[in-house]
Amino acid sequence: MTEPQATTGQQVLAPGHSMASITDKVSAIVLTRPVGKRWLFGFTLGFILTCVLFTTIANLLVTGVGIWGLNAPVGWGFDIINFVWWIGIGHAGTLISAILLLLRQNWRTSINRFAEAMTLFAVSCAGLYPLLHMGRPWFFYWLMPIPNTMELWPQWRSPLIWDVFAVSTYASVSALFWYVGLIPDLATLRDRTTSRLGRMVYGVLAMGWRNSAKHWHQYETAYNLLAGLCTPLVVSVHTVVSFDFAVGVVPGWHATVFPPYFVAGAIFAGFAMVLILCIPIRAVYGLQDFITMKHLENMGKILLATCLMVSYGYAMEIFTAFYTANTYEEYLMHNRLHGPYATSYYALWFCNLIVPQVLWFKWARTNVWVLFIVSLAVSVGMWLERFVIIVLSLSRDFMPSMWGQYRGTPWDWSMYVGTIGLFITLLFLFLRFLPVISIFEMRTLLPEAKVGDHGEHS
Amino acid sequence: MASDGTTHGGTPAQQLSLINLLGAVLPIGLLAWAFAMNPPAALRSYLWAFCVVAAVPCGSLALLALQHLTGGAWGVTMRRPLEAAVRTLPLVALLFVPLALGAHILYPWANGSYTAPYPKSLYLNVPAFQLRAGVYFAVWIVLGTVLNYWSTRQDRENPPDFDRRFRLIAGPTLGLYGLTITFASIDWVMSLEPMWFSSIFGVLFGVGQILSAFVFAILMVLLFSDRPPLRGVIRAGHLRDYGSLLLAFVMIWMYLSISQFILIWSANLKEEAPYYVERSHGIWPIMAGLVVLAQFFTPFLVLLTRDGKRNARSLGWVAGMVLAARAAELYWFIAPARPVDHHTLLWSDLVALPALAGPWFLFFTWQLSRRPLLPLHVDPTPAEDHHG
Repeated sequence: MTEPQATTGQQVLAPGHSMASITDKVSAIVLTRPVGKRWLFGFTLGFILTCVLFTTIANLLVTGVGIWGLNAPVGWGFDIINFVWWIGIGHAGTLISAILLLLRQNWRTSINRFAEAMTLFAVSCAGLYPLLHMGRPWFFYWLMPIPNTMELWPQWRSPLIWDVFAVSTYASVSALFWYVGLIPDLATLRDRTTSRLGRMVYGVLAMGWRNSAKHWHQYETAYNLLAGLCTPLVVSVHTVVSFDFAVGVVPGWHATVFPPYFVAGAIFAGFAMVLILCIPIRAVYGLQDFITMKHLENMGKILLATCLMVSYGYAMEIFTAFYTANTYEEYLMHNRLHGPYATSYYALWFCNLIVPQVLWFKWARTNVWVLFIVSLAVSVGMWLERFVIIVLSLSRDFMPSMWGQYRGTPWDWSMYVGTIGLFITLLFLFLRFLPVISIFEMRTLLPEAKVGDHGEHS
Repeated sequence: MASDGTTHGGTPAQQLSLINLLGAVLPIGLLAWAFAMNPPAALRSYLWAFCVVAAVPCGSLALLALQHLTGGAWGVTMRRPLEAAVRTLPLVALLFVPLALGAHILYPWANGSYTAPYPKSLYLNVPAFQLRAGVYFAVWIVLGTVLNYWSTRQDRENPPDFDRRFRLIAGPTLGLYGLTITFASIDWVMSLEPMWFSSIFGVLFGVGQILSAFVFAILMVLLFSDRPPLRGVIRAGHLRDYGSLLLAFVMIWMYLSISQFILIWSANLKEEAPYYVERSHGIWPIMAGLVVLAQFFTPFLVLLTRDGKRNARSLGWVAGMVLAARAAELYWFIAPARPVDHHTLLWSDLVALPALAGPWFLFFTWQLSRRPLLPLHVDPTPAEDHHG
């Protein structure tokens, strides 16, 4: 009865590979492949944009948050939009690595490593925003419940303070999970590298991994425990983010559907980003045997499923406005459809609802160009979604006398573009110095690994 | 291994239905009497019993689609109980008729105690309510019939690549179920308190139905697990999968419930908060606590352990407890909104549930006995046990 396993194995790993060829192919990207022009170009681009980010931050610290477009009714702008956008993108990594591991979906194996890396980089970008939004970020430790002479405590009823704990826990557990997963591969790199420096660095990072049965046993336990820990974190982080809004009584924010709707939106955006990264990486590094069409198709399916969940959220927002017959909720819908930002609302519908419908068809899910374009549309759409939720509700709430307008300043944009640069830089460094695909997990997909693994039991 | 599936599960199922027949006649008579005595109260009891009973077939439709989409041994072993439950949907539609006809007595927006403002009145009126119910049932019955018909064809002809066909309709089925059950929950339950609105309620109600259907199907599989064709097929691997999924479902349910509560509690708006204020007096907080204990904490702690999942006895107990808690949860949704005496159980409640559940279960067992208890051409072995 090994047949079904072998066929599944073939779908997620092209035939003709052996333990050695997998190790060679993946580790060569780090160890022997020369620094290419394309890598250099990407890294330089990312680095320039990161410099833009640092310039913005320097100006922000010197001048203050006034350089952003925030104003009296719209106290949350690009900073919170981008915070939510980045943190949402991170979710796919944890979903792929933890939940799909627990569900024993073996197709996750080749994409989990860089999806997790993507999570960490996205969370780093996200974390910058609320920190800098404080205006005096050097007092960030006031967010912690530290006993002090002024008896000043965080407001525990505010989800903003829950966010501090949710995001920092998420970041640290994700980092740990990623690092633990890397250890066996770091040891492989240590053993295969020819440079002295490489041996030292990878050797230290591999923490004395010797491939002993005891090591593997402890590794499996640790990895599964961390996966279990990560699973509630995926849900909790974006739930708390949704609470940031839903606890407020601003029209359009206070909806009980927000928690699951935000979590679905995060996974939607995250998978779109995984596809955006995965499609060029597999082409440039020739990894089509490892990241197969099966992976891309499955991600397309998840994209479609989460698109439908997000659409449900939009539908319920509209229905609520109608059903509650509440003046302010009704006006909010009117404002979305006919107000000054109506274009964003229609664009959001187009990007998030209409474009992904093409994924109902198999030809679309197996065409890299279609997947890439849909993913780009979704990324834009999810940014617009946060823009619509935050800016539209804040700019026109209850009292017309307090209405205002909002637009991002060049500094808002430079900060946004800068975090994209930081993300790209970190990603390119990761591609160059760490194995982009989990080598040892790929080896377990081989048919011979299956026989050796289970033969003695049956 | 699929070839032992040829034996029909008729005998045990018929034994079950005889006991049921006796138990069903008496409550029906009493419920009819309750209708004559106090129509609004009896209708309210009837609505509760209807929601408890309908949860299993409606949730089964969603689960049936889900297991076609995801595949896996848990779905194969559960498929026949789910299909049988889906085939009871026409009966459920029939059971809805008294509610459709009695809407003008039961619902505040129809009996004159609440006047819906303009755009809302387009939604909350008796003809629209009846029309929508007709649409829901039509959608469910059509989808259920197609899924059932294809399953019979698969048994009979075993056409190649039939799973793909199932998947083709399973996706839209789940989507349509999500949409219809949202509006059904608004119509049937949420509009009992017409001022109140919670946009998560449809999801909460739907997940509750899926939970009901899932534990019901677990109980059915366990009940027949020591008889052919299930004997020897059901292994620890299946039970572990059931347990893991049940754990996931109770966690989702708790997540949705607690989110709704936290958001409404913290916003403290006059349209929303009364829902929980109403339920914080009398027996309601105790009942809520028991529901959370039986539908979340106990299953969570039991199913978190490896043995709790793989042991048929503990799994059976947990499933039974969740099924009972679901009835209590629906009572907690529906009963506090009653226009009659607030804080006591009504005697019509006691007869309504057996009066509806009895005939339904009878119909279900009859449907279950008509097909083999396992699909004939689908392998029911868990994936990890394949290296034989």
